[in-house]
Amino acid sequence: MSTQPTEADVDADHEVLTAFDDGKPPATAGVRKWLRFRFLIRFQSLLGLVLVLFGGIVFSPRRNGEILFLSADNLANIVRSVSETGIIAVGMTFVIIAGGIDLSVGAVLGLSGVLVARLMIDWDYGTVLAIVIVLIAGLLFGVFQGLVSNYLRIQAFIVTLAGLQLARGLARIISGDQFINISFGSKPKQAPTSFSLLGDRLFGGVLPVSALVFLGVGIIGSVVLNTTRFGRHVFAVGGNERAARLSGINVRYVKIATFAICGLTAALSGILDAGQLAFANPDSGTGYELTAIAAVVIGGTSLFGGEGTVVGTLAGALLLGSLNNILQLNNINANLQLIVTATIIVLAAALQHLASRRSNT
Amino acid sequence: MPRNPAPRRPLALVTVGLLILGSAACASTAATSAGSPEHPGALAKNCGTGKKFKIGFAQANNAEPYRQHVNAELTELAKGYPDFDITIADGRGDSNKQISDVENFSTQQVDLLMISPFEAQPLTQAVAQLYDKGIPVIELDRQTTGDKYTAFVGGDNQAIGKEAGTYTAQKVLADGGDVAILEGLTSTTPAVQRTKGFTEGVAVNPKIKVVAVQPADWLPDKAQTVFDAMLRANPGIKAVYANNDLMANGAYLALKGQNKVGDVAIIGTDGLPDQAGGDQAVLDGRMTATFVYPTGAKEALELAKSILVGCAKSVQRNTAVDTTLITKDNAQAAIDKAKS
Repeated sequence: MSTQPTEADVDADHEVLTAFDDGKPPATAGVRKWLRFRFLIRFQSLLGLVLVLFGGIVFSPRRNGEILFLSADNLANIVRSVSETGIIAVGMTFVIIAGGIDLSVGAVLGLSGVLVARLMIDWDYGTVLAIVIVLIAGLLFGVFQGLVSNYLRIQAFIVTLAGLQLARGLARIISGDQFINISFGSKPKQAPTSFSLLGDRLFGGVLPVSALVFLGVGIIGSVVLNTTRFGRHVFAVGGNERAARLSGINVRYVKIATFAICGLTAALSGILDAGQLAFANPDSGTGYELTAIAAVVIGGTSLFGGEGTVVGTLAGALLLGSLNNILQLNNINANLQLIVTATIIVLAAALQHLASRRSNT
Repeated sequence: MPRNPAPRRPLALVTVGLLILGSAACASTAATSAGSPEHPGALAKNCGTGKKFKIGFAQANNAEPYRQHVNAELTELAKGYPDFDITIADGRGDSNKQISDVENFSTQQVDLLMISPFEAQPLTQAVAQLYDKGIPVIELDRQTTGDKYTAFVGGDNQAIGKEAGTYTAQKVLADGGDVAILEGLTSTTPAVQRTKGFTEGVAVNPKIKVVAVQPADWLPDKAQTVFDAMLRANPGIKAVYANNDLMANGAYLALKGQNKVGDVAIIGTDGLPDQAGGDQAVLDGRMTATFVYPTGAKEALELAKSILVGCAKSVQRNTAVDTTLITKDNAQAAIDKAKS
């Protein structure tokens, strides 16, 4: 899969981009030799994922010759365990490619969880309507952050840091500072039974619904980023904002739209969280923004914007999940798991930097 | 990439695995038997002497002093059970993480699961899945909802609060006086139950009056601020009861700030034996007394032994572990005992 628009895709307004230097250091002769292979580095996270999966097979505990790591249950568990942060990471990929960042997503997850629970339990909304309302709320939260960032000219980091506090505050108000246990049924104070589908497993109890949703979001995100005009504009804005503006792209619109997408994915994760756990806690999702950013970075997306792929992000999220799974199956100390993750983030960023050096002479 | 630390498994363990795989087919039988009035729970399909058993303990969050103490005590006591191979997984205070831990124990085909669920409802389904496969589940300190577990071991928060109340009423303030309560996070059950128990306990002495009850969310800094204000509003306070020792320490700091150390008795809860714990504070005279919140590690291991080694047909479903009063007299002994 192509990671950025190929030459043929580039439309007229995109060509202006190349006229500007993007400020990245030119490559030295030694590095230049290696740059021929940089298409490989573009797929670093996929390669990394393959390596980790291979390691998983080699180091997996076995019982009666069965490789426990490869059991269908275990693989499904891995995808499920990263589904919530993974969905957020897809939205985060758009924001980061456009040159922004969104720290509010974990809190928006908590907010969406309690909102969907209250809508169904206390305000008698049906499953579909409650989900749609929460998705729209998440989207509007993103739009609001985008508007504030663009019109008050405040950095995305600061706006979304404030957004984090705002969303947590709202979540606690909506939940009344209480955990909400969700029970299913048609009586008052119960959620519709259909909502419990989110915590189900399909195909003989193997494939979790949340894993399916995660993969679905990944495919949609990848298609939007790679094949649509909007997707190309996201790259253009993140690569060189001035050039993008001069070539007639509505930069503000694009940036606000990326925040909206990110808010939408965070809301979706919050709904899944409540559905899977049958429980809503206003403090759910604490720290998830950082896990999501880690998946994006491991996926080869540059925090400077302008470069990245959704496929890489999916691989990055699955890589983190598989790695934790292998370490846990082998009973490796939990603290060591964090250290291994740290190493991989730095390694991925270093490779990414190498790949993004320009080969101009 | 880490080395593979998986130990060589003896033949016996392979047999256990086979039997457990086979027993998965009988999962529905286990589920129905759980509904019977005796609640025999999912007892081990494979058991007996001279075998090795793999036990997984899904801890809620290693980064809490009490839970560290539980892990340490469990690991220490487990040395007395050479048949048991115990693995502790850290839920990191995140239900999603802990569900993965439980699922991984299921993949590893443990012979018994111990768990302190971080949150009750979210963990219920994951625990029930293991239970339905015929794996015995011992819940430690906290419970999931429903009845799909074999046994529960934990302290009785209300009873502990009541003992603290009775002690305050009879030993600390026999002549009566004003009492304040520092509550934990009021959305948590232990906070509610400890406060309720304490209020019942002090009621035995009609000369005692509870003049202030405020939440300080389990936190020492918040407790300091709250108790400072309480003292200024009620200068007659003679004793303060804190739902945990951290808040008791906050109360001590507030007293120190007003130069009133010694004027007010401080009663805490938890009684952890580490350097920063309540036992040391009692020994140093910063606190009057504390009530140990027991780990239940000893009782849980004994239960595991009777299930796995003793092939018990049924076990006690709920075990309430008694608290211990820690005063200056026995604080040193409690600290030494934990170190040995």
